[in-house]
Amino acid sequence: MSLLELKNVSVHYGRIQAIHNMSFTVEEGEIVSLIGANGAGKTTTMRTVSGLLNPSYGSISFMGQDITSMKAHIRVVKGISQAPEGRGIFPGMTVMENLNMGSYGRNDSSGIAKDLERVFDLFPRLKERSKQFGGTMSGGEQQMLAIGRALMSNPKLLLLDEPSMGLAPQFIRQIFKIITEINDQGTTVLLVEQNANQALARSHRAFVLETGSITHRGTGKELMANPAIKEAYLGVA
Amino acid sequence: MSTTEGPTLIPDSAAAQAMADREAKGRRRRGWFPGLGDKWNALPRHIQWLWLMVVVVIAYLLPILNPPFITTEPGNNWQIALAQMSVYALVAVGLNVVVGYAGLLDLGYVAFFAVGSYTAAMFTSPDSPYLHIPYLWTLPLAMAITMFFGVLLGVPTLRLRGDYLAIVTLGFGEIVRILATIIPAMKGQVGFQNVGHPPGTDANGDPIFLNSNGTPWYWLTLTVIIIVLLLAGNLERSRVGRAWIAIREDEDAAEIMGVPTFKYKVWAFAIGASVGGLSGALFAGQVGFVNNQKFDIATSILFLAAVVLGGTGNKVGAILGGSLVAYIPLRFTSIAEFKYLIFGVALVLIMIFRSAGLLPARQRLLAYGRLAYNKLKEPPMSRRVQVTTDGGKEAGDE
Repeated sequence: MSLLELKNVSVHYGRIQAIHNMSFTVEEGEIVSLIGANGAGKTTTMRTVSGLLNPSYGSISFMGQDITSMKAHIRVVKGISQAPEGRGIFPGMTVMENLNMGSYGRNDSSGIAKDLERVFDLFPRLKERSKQFGGTMSGGEQQMLAIGRALMSNPKLLLLDEPSMGLAPQFIRQIFKIITEINDQGTTVLLVEQNANQALARSHRAFVLETGSITHRGTGKELMANPAIKEAYLGVA
Repeated sequence: MSTTEGPTLIPDSAAAQAMADREAKGRRRRGWFPGLGDKWNALPRHIQWLWLMVVVVIAYLLPILNPPFITTEPGNNWQIALAQMSVYALVAVGLNVVVGYAGLLDLGYVAFFAVGSYTAAMFTSPDSPYLHIPYLWTLPLAMAITMFFGVLLGVPTLRLRGDYLAIVTLGFGEIVRILATIIPAMKGQVGFQNVGHPPGTDANGDPIFLNSNGTPWYWLTLTVIIIVLLLAGNLERSRVGRAWIAIREDEDAAEIMGVPTFKYKVWAFAIGASVGGLSGALFAGQVGFVNNQKFDIATSILFLAAVVLGGTGNKVGAILGGSLVAYIPLRFTSIAEFKYLIFGVALVLIMIFRSAGLLPARQRLLAYGRLAYNKLKEPPMSRRVQVTTDGGKEAGDE
């Protein structure tokens, strides 16, 4: 049984179809990447998995349970947590308050305290800045906060939407290292990235999205070796 | 967000300096009396209560004191002016739940006010052929009925966001007013006279609650305001309050944090509506006459102006805003004709110079209460953002 399974999922915005008949699985313990150009449907896929968008056709199941019509806030409790594109932190709340919002759906205070510890271990910077307002932090710090906040629900599946967007190169490497670390601690990660190099290098498996369909799939290494992908996404001719 | 400006992972002196500089940019004086908010929060709880008691006692004594310069006389009866100000303040407190806490722009709030007024009128006025009940019973009844209307309006419309929601609520405000005009039972412009009032007579055997005597109405409304404030304060600090703030800040993010956003938006609408209905019923009782002329869009906008003027999200600000909006035209009767012009100019000025309102919301206070706030105020690490009394503005990307 796969942790997450999408079967023939299509998503429409009004009459425009953004995702065509997409199927893929994410197995427990993996890092899986979706890579692709702008407008390929990466974020749409993410929002469909987290429940912010509803598929027009197809089904999604999580740990064997059909969640196609389940609301996003219930999926969080089930174990799907998302760090949204553009970070989506609460600018008028402090770092601490943001993190607390991450555990909104939980009431096991000892578990929450443990996860807070874990987040502060992963991102010592957040501990330093716990009293600062989210909106006054730099982009990289906001990204840390978004990931940390998503971890606060103790997810089984962590969805990361473009964690490297708008960050300095040195920080991108850092973020990917942390993603691997989170994965090593037992959290499955589904990653959407434009930074194909880093994403493929860190992923167990990856899918390439083009205009709403998966065109290539394979392990990270396989895709990195694929000449077509090299040319289109890795910037190597 | 520029791509070249990542956070510095390894702290060094240059990075520390850059950080301090950036933070200094965000440091702005926002309060009228800088530091007063901090001083207030530093006071022990019982001293704060003592001060609040003093303020409340003064508020209760206002109609008797009739302070010179502040009073609206001779142009308008001071006690009646106070009664109207208190009704507006209550309206603003209710609307603040919807607009301030949950961030839902409601341009048709007057509809709930109208429903409350008509509830009081139709169940107490001799002009109404229906069941008559004692006036005080109409207060909870008005709340229940408007709450029902709030849910009725909220369930289909709260799937909309921002501008769309504003337009739909604007339409709802008009629908209620037009229904009052065309439904014969609601008597259009003729309206209902002699709306009921609370029981009780004075020594001479005259009723205490006369339409011509504002003082008892003012005291009644003030008491209601205090009760509503206490309840609203508890709501703010509860899980519901946190959910509302999260929804206001970023609805999608709130949803994926596990907040049932739709449910809590309907709650905000329903609670806001019930307070609107309550104030409508009080208004109907005090004025003693209800017809379709008082519930136009301009009044809706005036209510919203009160909230924005006072400070969106701050209940004390809402009271101030509501009172001011009612007070200014009564006090300065010579310019009352131009009240919309004046409020318009005032709003523009406030948006430019004080975009969070006269009394800006303290968002961290909203989210976690005073205790947590004080904890955070404790001596911090050497360099961190100097949090002013409100601190609420979104600083945005650097």
